[in-house]
Amino acid sequence: MAAVRSFEFSRRKTNRVMGGVAGGLADTLGIPDAYVRAAFLTLLMVWGLGGVLYLGFWLMAYDKVEDRDVVAVDNGRGLGLGLAFLGLLLLLEAVGWWPNPALVLTAGALAFGTAALTDSSTPGPLAALMDPNVDRPSRLRLILGVALLFGGLSIFITSIGPVFELGVVFLAIVLTGLGIVVGFGPWVRRLIVDLGTERNERIRQEERAEMATHLHDSVLQTLALIQRTDDPARMAILARHQETELRDWLFGAAPLDGVDLVSTALRNAAARVEKDHQVPIDVVTVGDHLLDKESAPLIGAASEAMVNAAKHSGADRLSLYLEAEDEKLTVYVTDQGKGFDLDKVAPDRKGIAESIKSRVENAGGTVEINSEPGDGTEVVMRMPVESG
Amino acid sequence: MSITVYLVDDHRLFLSGVKAELADEFRIVGSAFDVDTAIVEIRGLNPDVVLVDVHMPDGGGIAVIEGVSESNPDVRFLALSVSDQAEDVIAMIRAGARGYVTKTIEPPDLADAVRRISTGDAVFSPRLAGFVLDAFAGAIPSEEDPELDQLTLREKDVLRLIARGFAYKQVARKLEISIKTVETHVSSVLRKLQLSNRHELARWASKRHIV
Repeated sequence: MAAVRSFEFSRRKTNRVMGGVAGGLADTLGIPDAYVRAAFLTLLMVWGLGGVLYLGFWLMAYDKVEDRDVVAVDNGRGLGLGLAFLGLLLLLEAVGWWPNPALVLTAGALAFGTAALTDSSTPGPLAALMDPNVDRPSRLRLILGVALLFGGLSIFITSIGPVFELGVVFLAIVLTGLGIVVGFGPWVRRLIVDLGTERNERIRQEERAEMATHLHDSVLQTLALIQRTDDPARMAILARHQETELRDWLFGAAPLDGVDLVSTALRNAAARVEKDHQVPIDVVTVGDHLLDKESAPLIGAASEAMVNAAKHSGADRLSLYLEAEDEKLTVYVTDQGKGFDLDKVAPDRKGIAESIKSRVENAGGTVEINSEPGDGTEVVMRMPVESG
Repeated sequence: MSITVYLVDDHRLFLSGVKAELADEFRIVGSAFDVDTAIVEIRGLNPDVVLVDVHMPDGGGIAVIEGVSESNPDVRFLALSVSDQAEDVIAMIRAGARGYVTKTIEPPDLADAVRRISTGDAVFSPRLAGFVLDAFAGAIPSEEDPELDQLTLREKDVLRLIARGFAYKQVARKLEISIKTVETHVSSVLRKLQLSNRHELARWASKRHIV
């Protein structure tokens, strides 16, 4: 993204000749200022175009006038800009906007020649040719620069000779296009790569955020609860509950995303009772059914039966068993606790039994309570459902 | 002579806990945290019963059973885990385990299960009973050996009661049969579970590459 913004250049405040426009452009493009000045100078010869451009850039420049760090010179881009510039010159010439070819070319050659010689960011031409320690890009740059110069000169020569104008226009276009590809290709590619990297990074961050949220809501909360508990039984249940939940989340135990099933609802209900009343509950389900208007009352009734057993049976664990058949669902809540005599129930417990009954019976099902003192209790809830 | 027991579980804390619980009644001859060590040691020690965790790195409990069953056919396996997928547990049984219990089992019940396994009986926890009922549910396929591919009504009754949390003794009383008969039914279910070609079982098994 930084690469795009780099075209919003600002003027230089120090180390400038006039308004700091050429310097600012050079900083933005990452090429030595000498070449930018040479370009302006050359274009100045084309009916003062350089001056117009200079003023235009000045107006476009951001008001923020400051010293910038010198951007590292990118050889490919510098070369591309040079080619594009040369192409532009040729195009101007070809369409006849070039009043005095000799003047322009002489100015250009002088300006760029001086620029090449005074450019402090790369080794001088002699050093580049002779010194074995000079890096390859610099050497290549010099060779390409020389080749360009020769190319430009030969075009100049052919253009004043009897050559088809069309050929020159074609060459100018090719040259400009080539310049753009060479100069901006790597930059565009990097832009695309940057965008891809940024996208991946964003996805990763979202995943991380989701995981952090989940762990915070579940594991951290449970750990906090455990730290505040000194009852080993409660700790064990909290840990067990959390383990089941984490496992489901990690390995995706929920069979259908977004679809609620009776088995899942019963499991959740059992987990809640387990947590609130500190009694482990073994949940076993055979078959399954969608959680709908018909089956939903079973969940509430089963919860109540579990709470009741947890509170009153004295059993150290409970069993919840669901069997889903085509036409009916059956839920058993079983404990091995002290049981009770159905005819001599305390009024409050009777109330609970009645509440379980009415929930299920109002929805069209039946409830059966089997219990004997000393022999545990079983609440059986049956609910007819439409098949499927 | 007391029953010799070997333990395999990659959770060390759990392993030491179980060791302490069983040490009074059984002779714990060894234990391992990983599959490879377990196979080598079980081959050498030839214990009566091996308690093996379903989920472990490097192939899990199935790899242990498969690595030992040929060289030591008398070793009996009891699968043990927290709360696994039905197919993993069924696959353990098909590989040769004679029972499956969850790790939340009470110590006396675990000791009971080890004793039962050592005499060649099968141990069905409520969860395993539920898995089996699920696996054998639905229409009966018309296979060459229909006897193996379905459960009898009595076997289903027994499994349902086990799934509801009743012990063998209570199951026997409720159905008005002897404990021995309950054990026979359960063993018969185990055999069907291991040998049946029922579509669901075959699918589970092939998914785990054990057929």
